[in-house]
Amino acid sequence: MSTIKIFLCENSIDGIFTAVYVAWSSGYGHSNVKIEEECEDHSYSNMELFSDYITVKTDYDLAMKVSRSIKNKISEEVYQIVCRVALSNHIGKADLIYRFLIRGFQIGSGIMEHLSEEVVSTVFKINRYVSYEAHHFLGFVRFSKQESGLLTSVIHPKNNVLSLISSHFADRLSNEKFVIYDENRKTASVHIPGRPWFIVQISDYNVNLFEDISCEEDEYQDLWKTFFDSIAIKERTNPKLQRNNLPLRFRGDMTEFKP
Amino acid sequence: MVIQENMSLQRKLEILSDAAKYDVACTSSGVDRKGSQGSMGNSVACGICHSFSADGRCISLLKILFTNECIFDCKYCINRSSNDIVRASFTPQEVCELTMEFYKRNYIEGLFLSSGILVSPNYTMELILETIRLLREVHRFNGYIHCKAIPGADPVLIETLGWYTDRMSVNLELPTAESLKELAPHKNRKNILKPIRQIQLRREHNKEFIGITDNTVSSPKMITGREDNDIKEIVTTKTSLVPYQKPVGINRRYVPAGQSTQIIIGATKETDYQIMSVSQALYDNFDLKRVFYSAFMNINQDNRLPATTQGPPLLREHRLYQADWLLRFYGFHTNELLDEKNPNFNVLLDPKCDWALRHLDLFPVEVNKADYYTLLRVPGIGTNSARRIIMARKSAVLDFKDLKRLGIVLKRAVYFITCNGRTMYPIKIDENFITRQLLSIKDRLPFGIDKDITYQQLSLFDDVNFQINPSQAMKIANI
Repeated sequence: MSTIKIFLCENSIDGIFTAVYVAWSSGYGHSNVKIEEECEDHSYSNMELFSDYITVKTDYDLAMKVSRSIKNKISEEVYQIVCRVALSNHIGKADLIYRFLIRGFQIGSGIMEHLSEEVVSTVFKINRYVSYEAHHFLGFVRFSKQESGLLTSVIHPKNNVLSLISSHFADRLSNEKFVIYDENRKTASVHIPGRPWFIVQISDYNVNLFEDISCEEDEYQDLWKTFFDSIAIKERTNPKLQRNNLPLRFRGDMTEFKP
Repeated sequence: MVIQENMSLQRKLEILSDAAKYDVACTSSGVDRKGSQGSMGNSVACGICHSFSADGRCISLLKILFTNECIFDCKYCINRSSNDIVRASFTPQEVCELTMEFYKRNYIEGLFLSSGILVSPNYTMELILETIRLLREVHRFNGYIHCKAIPGADPVLIETLGWYTDRMSVNLELPTAESLKELAPHKNRKNILKPIRQIQLRREHNKEFIGITDNTVSSPKMITGREDNDIKEIVTTKTSLVPYQKPVGINRRYVPAGQSTQIIIGATKETDYQIMSVSQALYDNFDLKRVFYSAFMNINQDNRLPATTQGPPLLREHRLYQADWLLRFYGFHTNELLDEKNPNFNVLLDPKCDWALRHLDLFPVEVNKADYYTLLRVPGIGTNSARRIIMARKSAVLDFKDLKRLGIVLKRAVYFITCNGRTMYPIKIDENFITRQLLSIKDRLPFGIDKDITYQQLSLFDDVNFQINPSQAMKIANI
């Protein structure tokens, strides 16, 4: 019995793609390798017996090679799907992507039609889940206007959707400076007019900066709350439907639900 | 009439959003538009919901009336001239300021501007036009705008406004001309249909002009179902286009997201069949994107209108929306769902189940062979499921386990489909048997509608104009 080689990688698109490249080209054979991504709390899942652990250092050139191959040999659409899966909070997503790509490179651009296969349907479901959450945040993000004119927003998404939603806001608010801060991952996307938006890691030292952000801002917050209350039809009050459409977990960051 | 001077913006917003809340349309869909330098906003075709109010309805647009003063006296309307309520009006600047600041904070997707009739339809329409023009040209707002066309206003004003907005709507209010005459004496059905037709023609002309072709045809289709003389007359009358009024510097399509309308249900005695026939005629002849249905509430406690002590007829509204979906996305026709003998929807079963039970000769359907529209007719299979089945069966022969993996809900579908010629378990294709099975599955009603419904107590269904017809009652009794 040969031992399983487990490749440990960083929890990012590039990290996972690097590990895919390394594991694939290692020559151990697909059934003898596994990829495991780092959890969001920077730990790994339980160690397995009788396996070798290999730590993969993220290499952008290798990651680029993988993304280029996916785009050329499978399709642009599948590339986007794989990226969204890589941004999800699904545990074991790195290995899932590896298994999915094996089938993808065999079948080509028609891979998503093979929905009756377990790997494909799992990828399909995770992709949908991440897309839905990203779409929710397009609507649920709330900006506060600072005195300086900077727009700031704090979110707590389950998946790492920051990079999926920022381009929408950069396009929409092209003349505004804004920051969207993902407090769960301590990352923020920053937009300055006339330049492309970018994502930064916020170290613990800088986090205090963002405590000021959620401050009670101005009259428009009150106006919005007024509108929010008066637009509801009393005779049709329906908290269950409201909760179904707008789960409680989003509300903590939304102006209209703050006291 | 008392006009309060110096009312605060907050108070105005409170009054004028409260007055606008009965309008159902709050969608921001139908147009994809990128942002541009120097302006604020973009638009996403699928629409974005920004919040959900206490009634569970989506808030996408800043939905307000320009004014709640009104010279009309429609019996069902909270803003009718005979009501003694606080009246307020925005100024165009205030509307722009609210829209821009709300939009910047990502509270809203755009503006929905409606209005009571101040002084005259023309006067009101001019105020609305001024507001929208200010918003687009001075504030450089590039987000979504949904605007009401006021029936009876000069066609030239409507033509101009259309170049600035994404969606326009004129509310039909009531399904038939008689009801409209009775409850909204100042309104006239033909006056409502005329601007809809005008906007439709300009949209088609504009699409042709810039070379977008789609399947819309402005020539009248055969009007089936119940005769509707008004619609027939408006559609067959040769109307010339209103003179082209495209403002200089406006570089957009004419009402790109199309038109919608709204019908109040339960205020008058029309049957579901009558209502759905009107919707069908509107979809067929006026190229409407949506018809909205609004369960009637007797907010004015008017004794000429039915009392709604048990709450608005939400279940009926729900059934109409289900049927509306069947018309728009499932290839159904009103006449297949209802007829003169069965003029109302079944309270216990959704319209598609009800239809399938009356057409058991068409079932079971073989999942691996049936075409898209046949799959869509299977209860429990929607557009997503049907598309997924068609995709997945290209590479494999599907069985029930595969269907589950595709995320297809088999609860209802199981009585109507086969995989490789087999049903999931032995099923008697028998109307009573399947009806009984389907009734035991709780109908997934929107949360809240279900709270007062227990399937045993049929007396609770004494809703406004909502009776189980004898043949259905018999069927239930037999089970």
